[in-house]
Amino acid sequence: MAIINQATKELQLKIVYYGPGKGGKTTNLEQVHANIGNVQEKGKLVSLATSSDRTLFFDFLPIEAMAIKGFKTKFQLYTVPGQVIYNTTRQLVLRGVDGIVFVADSQYEKMAENVESFQNLDDNLKALKLNIADIPYVMQYNKRDLPAAAPVDYMEFLLNNREVQVPSYTSVASKCEGVFEALNMITRMLLNKYINEGARKAA
Amino acid sequence: MAGLPPLNEEDMRTLDAALDELLRRSDAEAALVIDKGGPLISQRGAAGKFDSTTVAALAAGAFSATDMMARHLGETSLAHIYQQGRQVSLLISNVDENLLLITVFPAALGVGTVKYYAADAVARMAAQMEKAAQRDPGAGLDLVSLNTLDVSEVFRKRQ
Repeated sequence: MAIINQATKELQLKIVYYGPGKGGKTTNLEQVHANIGNVQEKGKLVSLATSSDRTLFFDFLPIEAMAIKGFKTKFQLYTVPGQVIYNTTRQLVLRGVDGIVFVADSQYEKMAENVESFQNLDDNLKALKLNIADIPYVMQYNKRDLPAAAPVDYMEFLLNNREVQVPSYTSVASKCEGVFEALNMITRMLLNKYINEGARKAA
Repeated sequence: MAGLPPLNEEDMRTLDAALDELLRRSDAEAALVIDKGGPLISQRGAAGKFDSTTVAALAAGAFSATDMMARHLGETSLAHIYQQGRQVSLLISNVDENLLLITVFPAALGVGTVKYYAADAVARMAAQMEKAAQRDPGAGLDLVSLNTLDVSEVFRKRQ
Protein backbone atom coordinates (compact mmCIF):
# COMPACT_ATOMS: atom_id res chain seq x y z
CA MET A 1 0.00 0.00 0.00
CA ALA A 2 1.20 3.50 -0.80
CA ILE A 3 2.85 5.45 1.99
CA ILE A 4 1.12 8.81 2.23
CA ASN A 5 2.89 11.39 4.34
CA GLN A 6 0.81 14.54 4.60
CA ALA A 7 3.38 16.22 6.84
CA THR A 8 6.13 16.05 4.21
CA LYS A 9 3.78 15.98 1.17
CA GLU A 10 5.31 12.74 0.06
CA LEU A 11 3.90 9.73 -1.72
CA GLN A 12 5.88 6.47 -1.81
CA LEU A 13 4.85 3.75 -4.24
CA LYS A 14 6.09 0.19 -4.65
CA ILE A 15 6.19 -1.37 -8.11
CA VAL A 16 7.03 -5.06 -8.45
CA TYR A 17 8.31 -6.70 -11.64
CA TYR A 18 6.86 -10.22 -11.70
CA GLY A 19 7.14 -13.07 -14.20
CA PRO A 20 8.80 -16.38 -15.01
CA GLY A 21 12.51 -17.05 -14.47
CA LYS A 22 14.96 -15.57 -16.97
CA GLY A 23 12.17 -13.47 -18.49
CA GLY A 24 13.99 -10.13 -18.16
CA LYS A 25 12.79 -8.63 -14.85
CA THR A 26 16.27 -7.81 -13.56
CA THR A 27 17.24 -6.50 -17.03
CA ASN A 28 14.32 -4.05 -16.84
CA LEU A 29 15.68 -2.58 -13.60
CA GLU A 30 19.24 -2.50 -14.93
CA GLN A 31 18.07 -0.57 -18.00
CA VAL A 32 16.02 1.89 -15.95
CA HIS A 33 19.03 2.43 -13.70
CA ALA A 34 21.40 2.93 -16.64
CA ASN A 35 19.19 5.08 -18.86
CA ILE A 36 16.92 7.20 -16.72
CA GLY A 37 17.45 10.87 -17.44
CA ASN A 38 15.06 13.08 -15.55
CA VAL A 39 14.84 12.12 -11.91
CA GLN A 40 15.62 14.07 -8.76
CA GLU A 41 17.52 11.24 -7.21
CA LYS A 42 18.41 7.72 -8.28
CA GLY A 43 19.53 5.22 -5.68
CA LYS A 44 21.81 2.26 -6.07
CA LEU A 45 20.55 -0.87 -7.79
CA VAL A 46 20.81 -3.58 -5.16
CA SER A 47 20.69 -7.21 -6.27
CA LEU A 48 20.47 -10.16 -3.93
CA ALA A 49 21.52 -12.82 -6.40
CA THR A 50 23.03 -16.29 -6.43
CA SER A 51 26.61 -16.91 -7.58
CA SER A 52 25.20 -17.70 -11.02
CA ASP A 53 23.49 -14.29 -11.20
CA ARG A 54 19.97 -15.55 -10.67
CA THR A 55 17.80 -13.46 -8.39
CA LEU A 56 17.73 -15.03 -4.92
CA PHE A 57 15.61 -12.57 -2.96
CA PHE A 58 14.99 -9.39 -4.94
CA ASP A 59 16.52 -6.57 -6.94
CA PHE A 60 15.74 -3.11 -5.63
CA LEU A 61 15.97 0.32 -7.23
CA PRO A 62 14.72 3.46 -5.45
CA ILE A 63 13.94 6.50 -7.60
CA GLU A 64 12.69 9.89 -6.56
CA ALA A 65 10.77 11.45 -9.43
CA MET A 66 10.44 15.13 -10.16
CA ALA A 67 7.99 16.78 -7.79
CA ILE A 68 4.53 16.85 -9.35
CA LYS A 69 2.73 20.01 -8.28
CA GLY A 70 4.54 20.03 -4.98
CA PHE A 71 4.13 16.33 -4.26
CA LYS A 72 7.37 14.47 -3.84
CA THR A 73 6.87 11.04 -5.43
CA LYS A 74 9.23 8.25 -4.51
CA PHE A 75 9.14 4.94 -6.32
CA GLN A 76 10.63 1.68 -5.18
CA LEU A 77 11.11 -0.82 -7.98
CA TYR A 78 11.50 -4.48 -6.98
CA THR A 79 11.85 -7.73 -8.87
CA VAL A 80 10.92 -11.15 -7.54
CA PRO A 81 12.96 -14.30 -8.08
CA GLY A 82 11.35 -16.10 -11.02
CA GLN A 83 12.43 -19.62 -10.19
CA VAL A 84 9.53 -21.79 -9.03
CA ILE A 85 11.26 -22.88 -5.79
CA TYR A 86 11.38 -19.33 -4.43
CA ASN A 87 7.67 -18.86 -3.99
CA THR A 88 7.83 -17.88 -0.33
CA THR A 89 10.27 -15.13 -1.26
CA ARG A 90 7.92 -13.85 -3.97
CA GLN A 91 5.17 -13.52 -1.38
CA LEU A 92 7.47 -11.50 0.89
CA VAL A 93 8.42 -9.10 -1.90
CA LEU A 94 4.77 -8.57 -2.84
CA ARG A 95 4.02 -7.22 0.63
CA GLY A 96 2.89 -3.59 0.30
CA VAL A 97 2.79 -3.72 -3.52
CA ASP A 98 1.01 -0.85 -5.30
CA GLY A 99 1.54 -1.75 -8.97
CA ILE A 100 2.91 -4.65 -11.02
CA VAL A 101 4.73 -5.00 -14.33
CA PHE A 102 4.28 -8.59 -15.48
CA VAL A 103 7.27 -9.47 -17.67
CA ALA A 104 6.40 -12.38 -19.95
CA ASP A 105 8.92 -14.23 -22.11
CA SER A 106 7.74 -14.13 -25.73
CA GLN A 107 9.28 -17.44 -26.79
CA TYR A 108 6.73 -20.16 -27.65
CA GLU A 109 8.42 -22.65 -25.37
CA LYS A 110 7.97 -20.30 -22.41
CA MET A 111 4.19 -19.88 -22.72
CA ALA A 112 3.34 -22.52 -20.11
CA GLU A 113 5.77 -20.85 -17.67
CA ASN A 114 4.20 -17.45 -18.38
CA VAL A 115 0.71 -18.75 -17.66
CA GLU A 116 1.89 -20.60 -14.55
CA SER A 117 3.69 -17.49 -13.28
CA PHE A 118 0.62 -15.30 -13.75
CA GLN A 119 -1.51 -17.84 -11.89
CA ASN A 120 1.14 -17.87 -9.17
CA LEU A 121 0.92 -14.05 -8.94
CA ASP A 122 -2.84 -14.30 -8.51
CA ASP A 123 -2.44 -16.98 -5.81
CA ASN A 124 0.23 -15.03 -3.94
CA LEU A 125 -1.86 -11.86 -3.96
CA LYS A 126 -4.79 -13.83 -2.57
CA ALA A 127 -2.52 -15.17 0.18
CA LEU A 128 -1.89 -11.51 1.10
CA LYS A 129 -5.65 -10.86 0.98
CA LEU A 130 -5.26 -8.79 -2.20
CA ASN A 131 -7.16 -9.09 -5.44
CA ILE A 132 -5.46 -8.76 -8.83
CA ALA A 133 -8.48 -6.81 -10.09
CA ASP A 134 -7.80 -4.09 -7.50
CA ILE A 135 -4.10 -3.66 -8.26
CA PRO A 136 -2.95 -1.69 -11.31
CA TYR A 137 -0.73 -3.78 -13.56
CA VAL A 138 0.61 -3.83 -17.10
CA MET A 139 1.84 -6.66 -19.31
CA GLN A 140 5.24 -6.52 -20.96
CA TYR A 141 5.93 -9.07 -23.71
CA ASN A 142 9.70 -9.27 -23.63
CA LYS A 143 12.35 -10.75 -25.95
CA ARG A 144 10.49 -9.74 -29.13
CA ASP A 145 13.80 -9.88 -31.02
CA LEU A 146 14.08 -13.66 -30.71
CA PRO A 147 13.13 -15.76 -33.75
CA ALA A 148 10.85 -18.04 -31.71
CA ALA A 149 8.73 -15.14 -30.41
CA ALA A 150 5.01 -15.93 -30.43
CA PRO A 151 2.60 -13.44 -32.04
CA VAL A 152 1.42 -10.68 -29.70
CA ASP A 153 -2.26 -11.60 -30.31
CA TYR A 154 -1.55 -15.11 -29.08
CA MET A 155 0.11 -13.77 -25.92
CA GLU A 156 -2.78 -11.39 -25.36
CA PHE A 157 -5.19 -14.32 -25.66
CA LEU A 158 -3.20 -16.39 -23.16
CA LEU A 159 -2.25 -13.74 -20.62
CA ASN A 160 -4.45 -10.68 -21.02
CA ASN A 161 -7.86 -12.18 -21.58
CA ARG A 162 -9.71 -11.25 -18.41
CA GLU A 163 -12.79 -9.07 -18.03
CA VAL A 164 -10.69 -5.92 -18.11
CA GLN A 165 -7.74 -5.98 -20.50
CA VAL A 166 -4.73 -4.14 -19.14
CA PRO A 167 -2.23 -2.12 -21.21
CA SER A 168 0.41 -4.31 -22.83
CA TYR A 169 3.81 -3.49 -24.32
CA THR A 170 6.27 -5.35 -26.51
CA SER A 171 9.86 -5.05 -25.43
CA VAL A 172 13.47 -5.98 -25.93
CA ALA A 173 14.62 -5.16 -22.42
CA SER A 174 18.27 -5.90 -23.23
CA LYS A 175 18.16 -2.96 -25.70
CA CYS A 176 15.97 -0.83 -23.42
CA GLU A 177 13.08 -1.01 -25.89
CA GLY A 178 9.65 -0.96 -24.23
CA VAL A 179 11.13 -0.62 -20.74
CA PHE A 180 10.24 3.03 -20.06
CA GLU A 181 6.89 2.69 -21.83
CA ALA A 182 5.74 0.00 -19.36
CA LEU A 183 7.18 1.86 -16.36
CA ASN A 184 5.53 5.15 -17.32
CA MET A 185 2.19 3.46 -17.88
CA ILE A 186 2.12 1.71 -14.52
CA THR A 187 3.19 5.00 -12.88
CA ARG A 188 0.37 6.84 -14.64
CA MET A 189 -2.15 4.19 -13.58
CA LEU A 190 -1.00 4.40 -9.97
CA LEU A 191 -1.11 8.20 -9.79
CA ASN A 192 -4.54 8.17 -11.47
CA LYS A 193 -5.74 5.72 -8.84
CA TYR A 194 -4.83 8.18 -6.09
CA ILE A 195 -6.29 11.12 -8.01
CA ASN A 196 -9.59 9.26 -8.38
CA GLU A 197 -9.61 8.22 -4.74
CA GLY A 198 -8.96 11.86 -3.77
CA ALA A 199 -11.82 13.00 -6.02
CA ARG A 200 -14.22 10.48 -4.48
CA LYS A 201 -13.34 11.72 -0.99
CA ALA A 202 -13.70 15.34 -2.06
CA ALA A 203 -17.21 14.64 -3.46
CA MET B 1 -3.81 -6.08 5.97
CA ALA B 2 -5.08 -2.52 6.39
CA GLY B 3 -1.84 -0.81 5.41
CA LEU B 4 -0.21 2.21 6.98
CA PRO B 5 -2.70 5.05 7.63
CA PRO B 6 -1.85 8.45 6.10
CA LEU B 7 0.61 10.21 8.38
CA ASN B 8 0.14 13.81 9.48
CA GLU B 9 2.40 16.26 11.31
CA GLU B 10 1.41 15.01 14.75
CA ASP B 11 2.29 11.44 13.74
CA MET B 12 5.67 12.48 12.38
CA ARG B 13 6.43 14.59 15.47
CA THR B 14 5.66 11.63 17.72
CA LEU B 15 7.68 9.16 15.65
CA ASP B 16 10.66 11.52 15.52
CA ALA B 17 10.44 12.27 19.25
CA ALA B 18 10.41 8.53 20.01
CA LEU B 19 13.49 8.02 17.82
CA ASP B 20 15.32 10.99 19.41
CA GLU B 21 14.53 9.75 22.91
CA LEU B 22 15.77 6.26 22.02
CA LEU B 23 19.07 7.67 20.72
CA ARG B 24 19.52 9.95 23.72
CA ARG B 25 18.90 7.23 26.30
CA SER B 26 20.63 4.29 24.65
CA ASP B 27 23.68 5.95 23.00
CA ALA B 28 22.77 4.24 19.73
CA GLU B 29 24.04 5.87 16.53
CA ALA B 30 20.96 5.95 14.37
CA ALA B 31 17.32 5.00 14.49
CA LEU B 32 14.95 4.52 11.57
CA VAL B 33 11.29 3.75 11.36
CA ILE B 34 10.26 1.92 8.19
CA ASP B 35 7.21 0.33 6.63
CA LYS B 36 7.28 -3.47 6.49
CA GLY B 37 6.97 -3.22 2.71
CA GLY B 38 10.38 -1.51 2.61
CA PRO B 39 9.88 2.29 2.42
CA LEU B 40 11.67 4.53 4.91
CA ILE B 41 9.31 6.69 7.00
CA SER B 42 11.75 8.66 9.16
CA GLN B 43 15.34 8.58 10.37
CA ARG B 44 17.29 10.28 13.16
CA GLY B 45 20.88 10.31 14.35
CA ALA B 46 23.73 9.40 12.05
CA ALA B 47 21.47 7.72 9.49
CA GLY B 48 22.79 10.13 6.85
CA LYS B 49 26.16 8.35 6.96
CA PHE B 50 24.79 5.28 5.16
CA ASP B 51 22.31 4.56 2.40
CA SER B 52 19.25 4.42 4.63
CA THR B 53 16.79 3.76 1.77
CA THR B 54 18.63 0.57 0.86
CA VAL B 55 19.11 -0.43 4.51
CA ALA B 56 15.34 0.00 5.02
CA ALA B 57 14.48 -2.24 2.04
CA LEU B 58 16.95 -4.91 3.14
CA ALA B 59 15.83 -4.78 6.79
CA ALA B 60 12.20 -5.19 5.75
CA GLY B 61 13.17 -8.22 3.65
CA ALA B 62 15.29 -9.71 6.44
CA PHE B 63 12.55 -9.28 9.03
CA SER B 64 9.88 -10.77 6.72
CA ALA B 65 12.11 -13.74 5.89
CA THR B 66 12.93 -14.40 9.56
CA ASP B 67 9.27 -14.03 10.50
CA MET B 68 8.30 -16.57 7.84
CA MET B 69 11.05 -18.92 9.00
CA ALA B 70 9.80 -18.63 12.60
CA ARG B 71 6.28 -19.46 11.49
CA HIS B 72 7.55 -22.58 9.72
CA LEU B 73 9.05 -23.59 13.08
CA GLY B 74 5.76 -23.06 14.86
CA GLU B 75 6.58 -19.66 16.38
CA THR B 76 3.85 -17.10 15.78
CA SER B 77 5.46 -13.99 17.22
CA LEU B 78 8.72 -12.32 16.23
CA ALA B 79 9.58 -9.23 18.31
CA HIS B 80 13.19 -8.51 17.27
CA ILE B 81 16.01 -9.63 15.05
CA TYR B 82 19.55 -8.81 16.03
CA GLN B 83 22.64 -8.67 13.85
CA GLN B 84 25.87 -8.59 15.83
CA GLY B 85 28.77 -6.91 14.07
CA ARG B 86 32.38 -6.13 15.00
CA GLN B 87 31.97 -2.37 14.72
CA VAL B 88 28.26 -1.80 14.37
CA SER B 89 25.27 -3.90 15.37
CA LEU B 90 21.66 -3.72 14.34
CA LEU B 91 18.41 -4.39 16.15
CA ILE B 92 15.20 -4.59 14.14
CA SER B 93 12.09 -4.41 16.33
CA ASN B 94 8.49 -5.06 15.42
CA VAL B 95 6.34 -1.97 16.12
CA ASP B 96 2.92 -3.08 14.90
CA GLU B 97 1.26 -4.61 11.85
CA ASN B 98 2.89 -2.08 9.53
CA LEU B 99 6.08 -0.65 11.02
CA LEU B 100 9.55 -1.71 12.07
CA LEU B 101 12.12 0.15 14.16
CA ILE B 102 15.77 -0.20 13.16
CA THR B 103 18.39 0.76 15.76
CA VAL B 104 22.03 0.98 14.67
CA PHE B 105 24.48 1.00 17.60
CA PRO B 106 28.18 0.49 18.37
CA ALA B 107 28.97 -3.19 18.81
CA ALA B 108 30.51 -2.40 22.20
CA LEU B 109 27.10 -1.34 23.48
CA GLY B 110 25.12 -4.27 24.84
CA VAL B 111 22.04 -5.30 22.90
CA GLY B 112 20.14 -5.60 26.19
CA THR B 113 20.42 -1.86 26.76
CA VAL B 114 19.23 -1.05 23.27
CA LYS B 115 16.40 -3.56 23.45
CA TYR B 116 15.25 -2.08 26.77
CA TYR B 117 14.99 1.48 25.42
CA ALA B 118 13.70 0.33 22.03
CA ALA B 119 10.72 -1.22 23.82
CA ASP B 120 9.67 2.24 25.05
CA ALA B 121 10.03 3.72 21.58
CA VAL B 122 8.03 0.84 20.08
CA ALA B 123 5.19 1.35 22.58
CA ARG B 124 5.09 5.09 21.92
CA MET B 125 5.08 4.67 18.14
CA ALA B 126 2.50 1.87 18.21
CA ALA B 127 0.16 4.02 20.32
CA GLN B 128 0.44 6.90 17.84
CA MET B 129 -0.21 4.60 14.88
CA GLU B 130 -3.28 3.25 16.65
CA LYS B 131 -4.46 6.84 16.99
CA ALA B 132 -3.72 7.51 13.30
CA ALA B 133 -5.71 4.45 12.24
CA GLN B 134 -8.69 5.57 14.36
CA ARG B 135 -8.51 9.12 13.03
CA ASP B 136 -9.57 8.40 9.46
CA PRO B 137 -8.53 5.07 8.02
CA GLY B 138 -9.64 6.10 4.51
CA ALA B 139 -8.03 9.52 4.33
CA GLY B 140 -5.62 9.99 1.45
CA LEU B 141 -3.42 12.59 -0.11
CA ASP B 142 -5.51 15.05 -2.07
CA LEU B 143 -4.25 14.82 -5.63
CA VAL B 144 -7.42 16.10 -7.26
CA SER B 145 -5.72 19.22 -8.58
CA LEU B 146 -3.04 17.17 -10.27
CA ASN B 147 -3.27 17.19 -14.06
CA THR B 148 -2.87 13.63 -15.30
CA LEU B 149 -1.26 14.87 -18.50
CA ASP B 150 1.65 15.97 -16.33
CA VAL B 151 2.27 12.40 -15.25
CA SER B 152 2.19 10.73 -18.66
CA GLU B 153 5.97 10.62 -18.78
CA VAL B 154 7.29 10.71 -15.24
CA PHE B 155 10.43 8.83 -16.27
CA ARG B 156 12.30 9.85 -19.41
CA LYS B 157 14.93 7.77 -21.12
CA ARG B 158 18.22 9.56 -21.55
CA GLN B 159 18.79 10.35 -25.24
